[in-house]
Amino acid sequence: MIVIDKLCYQSKLRYVNASEKFAYAVLTLILCVASRSALTAAVVFSVNAWLTVAKGGIPPARYGKMLLIPAAFLLVSTIALVVNLSRVPLDAFAFPMGGWYLTGSTASVLEALRLCCKAFAAVTCLYFLSLTTVMTDILGVLRKLHIPGLVIELMMLIYRFIFLLMETASAITVSQDSRLGNRDYRTKLRSFGGMGSALLVRSLKRSGVLYDAMEARCYDGELKVLSEERPAEKKEILCIAGYEAVLLGMAIWSWVR
Amino acid sequence: MKTDKIKEENNWAVETEQISYTYEGNEKKALDEVSLKLKKGRKIAFMGGNGSGKSTLFLCMNGILKPQEGRLRISGSPVEYTRKGLLDVRRKVGIVFQEPDDQLFSASVFQEISFGILNLGVDEESARKEVEKVIEKLGITPFRDRPAHALSGGQKKLVSIADILVMHPEVLILDEPASSLDPKHRKLVRSIIGQLSESGMTILMATHDVDYAFAWADEIVLLHEGRVLRQGTPREVCGDAEAMEQANLEQPAVMRLYRRLVQKGVIDPAGEPPKTIEDLERRISG
Repeated sequence: MIVIDKLCYQSKLRYVNASEKFAYAVLTLILCVASRSALTAAVVFSVNAWLTVAKGGIPPARYGKMLLIPAAFLLVSTIALVVNLSRVPLDAFAFPMGGWYLTGSTASVLEALRLCCKAFAAVTCLYFLSLTTVMTDILGVLRKLHIPGLVIELMMLIYRFIFLLMETASAITVSQDSRLGNRDYRTKLRSFGGMGSALLVRSLKRSGVLYDAMEARCYDGELKVLSEERPAEKKEILCIAGYEAVLLGMAIWSWVR
Repeated sequence: MKTDKIKEENNWAVETEQISYTYEGNEKKALDEVSLKLKKGRKIAFMGGNGSGKSTLFLCMNGILKPQEGRLRISGSPVEYTRKGLLDVRRKVGIVFQEPDDQLFSASVFQEISFGILNLGVDEESARKEVEKVIEKLGITPFRDRPAHALSGGQKKLVSIADILVMHPEVLILDEPASSLDPKHRKLVRSIIGQLSESGMTILMATHDVDYAFAWADEIVLLHEGRVLRQGTPREVCGDAEAMEQANLEQPAVMRLYRRLVQKGVIDPAGEPPKTIEDLERRISG
C-alpha cells in the first residue's frame, strides 16, 4: 500500500485532472466487465499498461510485480471454474480417479480463460487509478459525485492517520528490538501485544488532541476543505470519449454476435 | 464608530482574572488562580517546566477548555461559552500546537490550510486566494504537492503555522514552536515569528529556551505549578534569581557573562545591557 502511495505521488499523470482519470477508469472498468469478448480485455489491458507505465512513468518491473498479486487469486478461482468432478469424462481433459473423473469441457476452459482476461483487465483499470491519482484527489472527485460527507471525512482521516499509525508502530518495534524484545517466539508474542496496547492508548490520546486542534480552528462538525483542481484538457476528454466509444462498440458487438 | 472607540481604549489582548482549571480525575489544579494582563502587539514568552500549566492556559485562552473559576477577556470582551461566543474567541486567538502531527488532519497541504478559513464562513473564491497567499508567504510552495506523511518535521511545522495564519488571528499562540526542529527550520520559524510581530500581531509563545526568550520577548511570564511566579520584562524576570531557580531555569548566558565581565572591569556598565551574545561581542570589541 505504501509503495502504491509513493509511486502514485511520482506519477507523471498525477497532475492530470482527477475527474478525467476517475471517469476514464470507471467507464473502462464497466465496459470491460460488460463486454463478452477477450479482445476487449486485451485492448483494455494494453492501453492501461501503456498509460500507467509509459505515460505515467511507473517502473515496468514494479508494475509487473504488482500485477502478480491478483494473478495468484485469479489462478485459484479459475481452477475452480474449469475443473469438475463427474462420472462421465468431458471433452477438454479427463483424469480418471477410481470410478470418477477430474474433468473439464472445452467450453468451460474457454469461458474461464475469457473471464481471466476480463478480470485482469479490470484490475489494470483500478491500478491505473491508484497509480496516477492521489487519494486526496480521488476524495475531491467523490465529493463532486455527492458521496455523503461523513464517508469522505472518514476516508480522509483514515488515509492520513494510517501513516501515523504505521510510523508509531514501527518506532515501537524498533525500540522493542533494541531491547531484545523480539528475541524468541515468547518475547515476540509479548512485544506484539504490548505494541497493540500502546498503539491503542496513543491513538486515543492523539484523537483527543486532534479534536482540540480542530476545534481551535472553529470546527463545527463538518470538515470543510478546498480541493485543488487541475483544469481538464479538451484534447484528453476527446481521447477518452473516443476510446470509450470504441470499447462500447466492441462490447455491443460481442453481445449481438 | 462606537465599537472602534472601545477597541482603541482597550489595549489588552488577553486578560485572565483568577482563572483556575482542574483536569477531570486530577486533584491538583493545572491552573491555580492565574491573573494576567497581556498587552496588544507584544511578544510574550511563557516559561516554566513541564506541567507548569502553559498548555492548559493556552487552551483556556482559545476557549477549548473552560476554566472552572475566574474570568477571561479577549480584547476587552468577556468570553461567552456559547457556540457563537466561542467561534468569536477562536477567530481572534489562533493556536499552533506543539506537535504538528496532532494538528494536521489532511494528507494534502492545500486542503489542510483551507480548513480554518472555510470554517470562518469565507466564500471559496476568497478562501482559495488566502490559502495561496499564506503558502507563498511561508515558503511552502516547494513542498505543497507532497502528502503530509512525506514532509519533514520542519515542513510540517510551517504548514501548521500556515493553518492558523490563514485565519488572520489577532493573537497567535505558539506552543514550543522550535522544539524538535533542526537549526535551519528553527531559524526559519523564528524569522517568520519576527515578521508577524512586526505586523502588529500579539504573539504568545511557550519555550524552554531561556536565551531565546530573553532576546526575543518584550515580556516573560514565569509559570510554576499552575501559578504565575513572575511577570515582567525579560531583564526583570531573568534577573530574579530566586524565581528562576524555582522554575528550574537557568539565567540567560549573556546575562551571566555580562555581569561577570562588568565585575572584572572588562566592559563599561554604562548603557543598555546586551540582549544577545552578538550584542555582547560587539560591546567587547567596540
